[in-house]
Amino acid sequence: MKDPRVKLASDDPGASADPNRRLMGRPASSPGDTARIGDELRSPTRSPRARFRGEPSANRLGVVMNIPTLLTLALVLAYPIFYAAYLSFHKVALADLRRGVFPFVAFDNYRRILSDPLFILSLKNTLVFSAVSVTAEIVLAIAIALLIDQRQVWTSRITQFLILIPYAVPPIANGLIWAFMYNFEFGFLNRILFTLGLIHEPINWAGNPSTALLALTIPYIWRTLPFAILLVHAALQGINPELYEAANIDGAGALQRFWHVTLPLLAPIIVVILVLRTSFAFAVFEEVLSITQGGPGDATWVAAWYAYKKSFAPPFDIGVGAASAYILALIVGAIAIVYVKAIYRRIT
Amino acid sequence: MVRRQIGPGTLGRRDLLKSLGALTFGAVSGFPGRGLAANPWADRPSTQVDKLNFVVWTYGDIYSKIAKKFTDDWGVQVDSTISSFNDHPPKLMTMYAGNETIDVSQSSPFSFPNFISQGLVEPLDDLPGAKEYLADFTESARQVAVWDGKLMGLPYFSTVWVWNYYSDLLEKAKLEPFKTYEELLEQLRKAKKDKIAEYPIQWVAGVGLEQLPGTWYQLTWNRGGVFFDKSGAHQLGPGSVARETLKWWVATFSEGLADPESLKVQFTTSAKAFSAGKNIYRGPNHHYGLNIVNDKAQSPIAGKVKVMGSPGDGRTIGDTHVYFLCSANRDRAWAWKLLQYLGGRTKDGKYTQAENLARDAMLGSGFDSVMKSAAVTEGWMPWGEPDKILDIWGKATYVGEICNSVYKPWHFPWTDRLNIEVQKALTGQITADQCCDNLIAAIKDVQKT
Repeated sequence: MKDPRVKLASDDPGASADPNRRLMGRPASSPGDTARIGDELRSPTRSPRARFRGEPSANRLGVVMNIPTLLTLALVLAYPIFYAAYLSFHKVALADLRRGVFPFVAFDNYRRILSDPLFILSLKNTLVFSAVSVTAEIVLAIAIALLIDQRQVWTSRITQFLILIPYAVPPIANGLIWAFMYNFEFGFLNRILFTLGLIHEPINWAGNPSTALLALTIPYIWRTLPFAILLVHAALQGINPELYEAANIDGAGALQRFWHVTLPLLAPIIVVILVLRTSFAFAVFEEVLSITQGGPGDATWVAAWYAYKKSFAPPFDIGVGAASAYILALIVGAIAIVYVKAIYRRIT
Repeated sequence: MVRRQIGPGTLGRRDLLKSLGALTFGAVSGFPGRGLAANPWADRPSTQVDKLNFVVWTYGDIYSKIAKKFTDDWGVQVDSTISSFNDHPPKLMTMYAGNETIDVSQSSPFSFPNFISQGLVEPLDDLPGAKEYLADFTESARQVAVWDGKLMGLPYFSTVWVWNYYSDLLEKAKLEPFKTYEELLEQLRKAKKDKIAEYPIQWVAGVGLEQLPGTWYQLTWNRGGVFFDKSGAHQLGPGSVARETLKWWVATFSEGLADPESLKVQFTTSAKAFSAGKNIYRGPNHHYGLNIVNDKAQSPIAGKVKVMGSPGDGRTIGDTHVYFLCSANRDRAWAWKLLQYLGGRTKDGKYTQAENLARDAMLGSGFDSVMKSAAVTEGWMPWGEPDKILDIWGKATYVGEICNSVYKPWHFPWTDRLNIEVQKALTGQITADQCCDNLIAAIKDVQKT
């Protein structure tokens, strides 16, 4: 059966005779459309010359437009990922890396890592760090986004601008700033808490094993929170105000409106934040490097720090470092799948 | 950029005069060949290069100055890749692994054996003037730069571990510099009790290859102990000097005598923290920290920090950092020329870099002749007492003698464990005995790497 829309176009005396041009006038909105476009392009009445002279088909244009991105991703993402996988199954020393010849060791690197108590501890620290920071980020992001969404408060625009500043601070600089803030005797944090009467003795935030991980979490949240706020803020803009009006008419209070209207509609973006922030939190490194360097003792050894130390400090055991990074990636991937299956699918 | 080319058939007037002069000197001195070999640093390599490069860690503006001097002297541009001290090994490693050209680089004594075993370092013995340098090496420089009988590097700087005290606070506490460790502990307790200082002592106990480990090495060596004997067997068992030393050290933390910031500070940050004037003593550390604590521009207590040796016979540790010729160089003769500018003599025959480092930064040299020169005996005066430091220098032993795992490829991972376990002991998470037991167990683990 002939498509009535095609008929309409071809019957139009003012329409171009070129089927390609004719079709480009509207988007291919369904797979059926795309197939039809393809059929027309393969029409025997169309000469090869005409095929190249006119505008390209949506399919071909899509492929062409995607090639640069695909190539870039393949070069900067896929190649290192596969190369790291290759390295993780080999014994790779510094000189070997230059020569490009490595002895194959099968799963030996993975075996070594999984039997290393320091790696297990690093994973545990990473899990604690990620759980605390991601939970805090989501709660704070929703709270702050709701606040800056109050358009009747004129300061909300200033707050919207100020909220972005931590995101613009380079991670290492952020770590160094907080390292100064945490200074035992001269740091701002202790000074403020002391002045407020909240503490009577200075706290060795980054130097005490019981507070060191927390001392990393706070600067990390500070730096990454704006991203989560932006996402929630954007999602809030998409909620139909009529829903709130309807809830008001039904006599719902602010808390009920939040619980029954706002939160369910924010759920998809919360899952996105969960996936993104968890994967980034698992790779936390800069704050560790600039504030604690894993100390005191092993209190702040996290998985990325472990991989870095294995790969980039003598004896430069790059195979082991790659294997540890892979284990980390697998864990993050598994968590992302759990998030999507357990939460996202349920809410959508 | 003017570049002179010297090769067959291109001998210039100046070169001819120089050669004649050298021959004349050789004839007069009775050693015909000696005149030519005596100043090889002034000879231009016969090959040609467009540029050279070095990969180093940052230290003021010394590298821009020496690179400029090289370019002025030889007409060859020098590119530099400069990172922080801690980032240097990864930077060097990634450049090397990435097939980049590296003419000259540098190393701490702890990384050097690893760099050598990985094939990054090229021997220097056959290069012109190498033997003359070796003859002028201090013992510490020799122990680091000579590997398996081969000369592998030239000294960057040498240092010795000394104690510091803040004279005003010591006077206020009515104390004299301590003579024994027991006396030190008593002094610290008294100073705290009398509220002279909340934390009377600050240690250099931050995580690092040399900081926290070095403090333990120094304290242990001064008490007559080592970490490994000549055969490589550990000396950390029950009753060992290292273990007893650690117990004593832990007490300074558990009794609240040691500044909690000690666990984070490196050498420079420790010097800056001590400059606040809150502590009486600063535990053993590199001697050149005095150029911060006694510098009026950087320290409110400048001029009031004194240096002192260690108790007992005063034995201490020292070490030397080195420059080396990288196996990834573009031209061996020119790379050697550049290496000498950094760690040896410049075209004029002077140890320019070593002397500048002594005068500008109070660094020691790996060359005997520099250590005896005015660059040290007068150059160090603005910050400390050169005679006193040189006296301590005479009692220093290279750190590799105390902990000979420095020469093993597993020294790095073991040091990681050492940093972790000792910090856990110092923060009261485990006892000194548990710490040493864990370190003994760790030796087997890290030897698998």
